[in-house]
Amino acid sequence: MMSTTRIGAVAAAAGVVLALASCGGGGITNSGSGGGGDTKGDIILGMATPLSGSSAAIGPYMKNGAQLAVNEINDKGGVLGRKLKLVVEDEACDPKTAAAAAAKLVTEGTMVSVGGYCSSATLPTLSIFGKANIPMIIPAANSNDLLKGNNKNVFLLNGTGAQQAQAAVDFMKKSGAKAVALVDDNTSYSKDITTRTAEDAKGDASLKIATQQSVTAGESDYSAAVTAIMRANSDFVYWTGYYQEGGLIIKQLKAAGYKGKIMVADGSVDKQLITIAGQDNAQGVYATMTQTPQTIPGGDGWIAKYKAAFNADPGPYSTQSYDAVRVAAEAIKNAGSTDGTKVIKALEDINGFKIFSGNLKFTPEHTLTEGGFDILVVKGDQFVLNK
Amino acid sequence: MTDKRLDSSTPDEPSGFVRALDERGDATVGTVGQGLAPATTRRANPVSRLIGHPAFGWIVIALAVALPFINSSAYAIRISTDALIFIMLAVGLNVVVGYCGLLDLGYAAFFAIGAYTSGVLSTTFGWPIVLTVPFVIVAAVIGGLIIGGPTLRLRSDYLAIVTLGFGEIIRITANNLDFTGGPNGVYGIPDFGDFGDYRADIATYWIVVVVVGLAVLASSRLGRGRLGRAWRFVREDEDAAEAMGIHTYKVKFAAYVTGAIFGGLGGVLFAVHQTAISPPSFNFLFSALILMAVVLGGMGSTPGVVVGAVIISLLPELLRGAENWRYLIFGILLIVVMIFRPQGIWPHRTDEKPARGGRRRSRTDATEVSQ
Repeated sequence: MMSTTRIGAVAAAAGVVLALASCGGGGITNSGSGGGGDTKGDIILGMATPLSGSSAAIGPYMKNGAQLAVNEINDKGGVLGRKLKLVVEDEACDPKTAAAAAAKLVTEGTMVSVGGYCSSATLPTLSIFGKANIPMIIPAANSNDLLKGNNKNVFLLNGTGAQQAQAAVDFMKKSGAKAVALVDDNTSYSKDITTRTAEDAKGDASLKIATQQSVTAGESDYSAAVTAIMRANSDFVYWTGYYQEGGLIIKQLKAAGYKGKIMVADGSVDKQLITIAGQDNAQGVYATMTQTPQTIPGGDGWIAKYKAAFNADPGPYSTQSYDAVRVAAEAIKNAGSTDGTKVIKALEDINGFKIFSGNLKFTPEHTLTEGGFDILVVKGDQFVLNK
Repeated sequence: MTDKRLDSSTPDEPSGFVRALDERGDATVGTVGQGLAPATTRRANPVSRLIGHPAFGWIVIALAVALPFINSSAYAIRISTDALIFIMLAVGLNVVVGYCGLLDLGYAAFFAIGAYTSGVLSTTFGWPIVLTVPFVIVAAVIGGLIIGGPTLRLRSDYLAIVTLGFGEIIRITANNLDFTGGPNGVYGIPDFGDFGDYRADIATYWIVVVVVGLAVLASSRLGRGRLGRAWRFVREDEDAAEAMGIHTYKVKFAAYVTGAIFGGLGGVLFAVHQTAISPPSFNFLFSALILMAVVLGGMGSTPGVVVGAVIISLLPELLRGAENWRYLIFGILLIVVMIFRPQGIWPHRTDEKPARGGRRRSRTDATEVSQ
């Protein structure tokens, strides 16, 4: 008799599972699923972005950026006579949470996805949106792995690691670097850039990769990496991780008497980097960065609008999220429908649509034709365009 | 466990050895009496009578299978599948921690071994997922042998520290090897197969229901066999168990490797379900959450652990409405539960107890007291 009691185990499992089954129905076959082709009601744009966890600071920037575009478009009458509606779900920069968030967005009737920050958390969402035939315009995540599945619904609005690496190598050559030290933090995004930079630099005889270091994020002492850089007689250090560790590495390099140039990638472009490194140490540090309102002419007006709407400063990926919504609206308008296949076709056909990083035209791989990476430099307490 | 040993040294209480004899006697009586004596003589309240009813388990399984007909939304299927996989891990860890009392803080390592073995074989070599299962089992067993071999000679806290290290080693190794995709992980993992007209996520869900159902049944049966009794004996008092002729090292090994296999198979399901796996999914927090499911539900109790796993897995999703507050609320709820039900939500009950219940001394174990 006890055995049957124990089977109750499985029971409880399903019992709570069932508690979820409060709504919905039908559609267990392929014909029953798929969607997006309706013609009434709001046009729903879904965004998965980190609102909790280690990257929680980014979420509000992306959400507000997208909301600003939604408000502007709705004020002008919406798209196809319908209003846009932004639905935001937390991805927590965690693959499992992100997959659940994506499934939730699909269930909530998302027609175009305009989210995606952490590359590793965005990867599992590709197949979920793909199966529902929902186009994804990814504003921030930019690992090349996102493209390797040849998912035709995936479009990257951020410059890719390859484009950033190319911009970095171009600048290294221009600045006459001889022995370059590449330092990453062993995350997907960071490693992608160093690997590609090393590959790009191979084609050039004058540019030598003196050393390649990987550090562990979240530590406070990076003297091992600093010593290796000094021993390799590097005259150019390229850090591709985030600002927390970047600031410490700059500080410790200067303390060790490093005299060469230092450059950081876009994950480190934040005022915090200057604060952590110390303003004196950070002077003259270069950065590869996509265009932001702070660095493009005429961007002040946009910042003022953002501040008026949310009473906060825009941050990383506010502009890309803003653009993602505008691109989605443009594609739906051109397609004349919210049908996934038609919108994907319209996205592929977009040519010369004005976004922050330049004129938009997607490559056959669905990345930006122009990466739009600029070189910034630290002057005083902020990053300005290097001229 | 420590309390136990302290108790046995006080003059009022019988020594561990005497109690061990007693327990052994219980076990024997239990074995002999199986199927003869009614399991419990206590009066059950309506709730426990309902959940104790023979058909209850089957009803719930039926409901689990029927879920897609009730709510087929992508989200419901997604988080239900997540919950089922988590149940698989929790019942696996329950064998190690609940039955045998080996505190394992790195259980996610076996989960990672399973997910990566399956993921790499199916993407790099293009194998169908089903074919990777035997290799996952082999890999998990090897993992269990490597870590269990030297460390199972350790006890309690020391074992916890070593397994904690093992969990981190596996994750960091996966982060640094090329064939595991480094920090990017493995992606593009295929489904179980082509299910024609049925939606792929629902087909996967049904497969997961069947596999997890069998796993729960297996884990619960294991706990009640000869080996299960040996495990509990080792948990209660390892020295006494050894004195009674139980090869404690072998028995602990069996628990550890069984747990490893459950974890590995859970990893296969996870890899298919996620389609992309990367090292951050297998961090210490994940190991801690599985352990939390076991403790929350009631250590050693299969139905309890299943309930615990469902709660730990679904609560953060159900709290999505609370936005940034959800993990705070999640944490507070867990603390509240542990204050009011320290023995767990559905604690373990000793099957063979009533046979000599009248003559027995009152036992000190918290789970027993709770009854």
